[in-house]
Amino acid sequence: MHPVKLFCWHFMAYPYLPEDFDEKYDTGWVTVPNSLWDRDQARGLYQEYIDQLVYADELGFDGMVLNEHHQNIYGLMPSPNMIAAALSQRTKNGKIVVLGNILPMHLNPLRVAEEYAMLDCMSDGRLIAGFAVGGGPEAFNYDVPSPRARRQFWEAIDLVVRTWTEDGPFTHEGLEYPLRYVNAWPRPQQTPHPPVWVPGARSRETMENAAQRGYAYFLSSRSHGDQTRQAAQAYAKTMAKYDRTYSPFDFGILLSVYVSETDEQAKIESQEGIWYFLRNCLKGHLRTKGRTLTWGPGVPSTSPDSWRGFLEQWQFGAGQLGDTKDWEELDQRASIIVGSPETVRDKLLALVERAQTGNLLIQFHFGNMKDELARKSMRLFAEQVAPALREQSSDIFARDFPALSYLEPAE
Amino acid sequence: MTSSHIDINGRKVWVTEQGRGTPVIYLHGIADLHGIDAEPGAFHMALGDQCRLIAPAHPGCAASDEDEALETIDDVVFHYLRVLDALDLDRFALAGSSFGGWIAAEIAVRYPERVEKLALIGPTGLAVPGHHIGDIFWYAQPDDGVRYDGLRDLLFEGPKTEIGMAVIPDKKDDIEREMGKYKVFRFASLIGFKPPYLYNPKLRSRLDRYRNPALVMWGAEDNLVPRAHADAYTEGLGDARLETVEGCGHSLIVEAPEQIARSVTNFLNE
Repeated sequence: MHPVKLFCWHFMAYPYLPEDFDEKYDTGWVTVPNSLWDRDQARGLYQEYIDQLVYADELGFDGMVLNEHHQNIYGLMPSPNMIAAALSQRTKNGKIVVLGNILPMHLNPLRVAEEYAMLDCMSDGRLIAGFAVGGGPEAFNYDVPSPRARRQFWEAIDLVVRTWTEDGPFTHEGLEYPLRYVNAWPRPQQTPHPPVWVPGARSRETMENAAQRGYAYFLSSRSHGDQTRQAAQAYAKTMAKYDRTYSPFDFGILLSVYVSETDEQAKIESQEGIWYFLRNCLKGHLRTKGRTLTWGPGVPSTSPDSWRGFLEQWQFGAGQLGDTKDWEELDQRASIIVGSPETVRDKLLALVERAQTGNLLIQFHFGNMKDELARKSMRLFAEQVAPALREQSSDIFARDFPALSYLEPAE
Repeated sequence: MTSSHIDINGRKVWVTEQGRGTPVIYLHGIADLHGIDAEPGAFHMALGDQCRLIAPAHPGCAASDEDEALETIDDVVFHYLRVLDALDLDRFALAGSSFGGWIAAEIAVRYPERVEKLALIGPTGLAVPGHHIGDIFWYAQPDDGVRYDGLRDLLFEGPKTEIGMAVIPDKKDDIEREMGKYKVFRFASLIGFKPPYLYNPKLRSRLDRYRNPALVMWGAEDNLVPRAHADAYTEGLGDARLETVEGCGHSLIVEAPEQIARSVTNFLNE
């Protein structure tokens, strides 16, 4: 069987916040004042981040992952497609995963179809096309009414895929995006079209819609435990409903890793970047303290039935990832895995086996982490973690998915 | 009070009724019957003693079905035209609070001949340059995960008033009340998230179409809708009187229920 696929995800955080950011500002999202942007220090920042992704390609990662965020210090890619275009010219082998374009924030999905088709051609067919609904902060950025976002989202995906697969010109009759002439040039290089990935937070609606269309489901949760396994099982079950057979490559998860020579050394080196990430970048999203915008009645995009299910298990004031106090608690959340190559390999292997996922989307750069540390961690991972992970995951998948033996390693 | 469903082309609308006499349609807001509260409060009871109160729940609120096609305030007006058809009401008095007042004003400027009297209680709905309606959506989640000070400050006289703490306590509330809050925010965000927030840029220039008597009630400490909106409504409507209520914020009908009910009934009886 094909081994687990290992991707390098870069969020491109703003790394030059003042020391007293957490005391002075209630969020790192939407209203975090852009007067904090330091022109002199930030000069060359995109170059540094792009170079790290190019390095990931040289190290043999299966791909590079980018995503879209607006008006925040967590991720400086309002347009991930621009970074993807740069990567298409500077990388050779890895997939370019844009996860994704937030469709309800785009005036017209045809533009997304066009840009993704360009990226697929420019990268010689290496694009993985991700589409996202957008979370709480995004709703406030462009004032997108949340209850309509899902309807807009699925109409837009269907229109994009139809644009790629059906000969034009054709007319699209839709409630949200009626178009008289759909006839996009260029067409994507991959046939029938670039793979489609859809992130979701375990809601039934997203699983149903993605499974029905045969798209890969990517769990957007940052913490992993029993619920990660349950999500994979739920997706497998939903696929079966539509006569599709689950393979580990239909499901992906996000996690973060820092590798160094020893467990102790890894903590010392990553400490500053990780806590900058937890305290500052997650403030406003996945941190309870301050002004959180992630979910709730202010951004009511889930159906009332799903919301009732959420409320039943909701604990008022419960801490989130960004509230993590110490290394021990961080370890329990299984979100950020820090340690020696052996430690990281064992934990990731256990995660792959439990969650039965074939796509690990791994964040290596945290907050204000120095370039040399991010690169060191990536290199140690590629040289001392990835080989064993690939070999052993291949055996695990062959054992757990015997019916899928036709999924041979790619050349 | 009695509540039942009426049918609008296969969609169910939950309507609460009480009393006899002049029909008064009441359109609810957030801290209100069919919003966070499932049961009528002192305001609704007092109004129901004096007239025939008809209080429908907006689409998706309380036990009303969602309307998948609902996108704009115009769709809400058409929804209520059908509700009025189903209730067989040709002429009536119309009252509303918060964004319910906005909806009432939208109906009144389109069908001025059907609305005999119009009572607006802390209505949103207008764009007044430089005086922006506050952002209830931003504050819908607790501050620091544990306090609703921001939301209460917008909806009541201040962040920690007794009535505010009772309506929105600093804890996980009863599931049905939490659901009521979720659903009323969901409805409000459909019509009021864009443009931000809770207004129709065209409404102000249409207010002069309504010529029958109007009462505009305003909380002196309304932190959600600036006072300039009260003046804009009063000036824009042909025959309107402004009544400012001291010691109240945006949710007048729960902050001073008897007083508001008395003012509204006096106005209806004039």
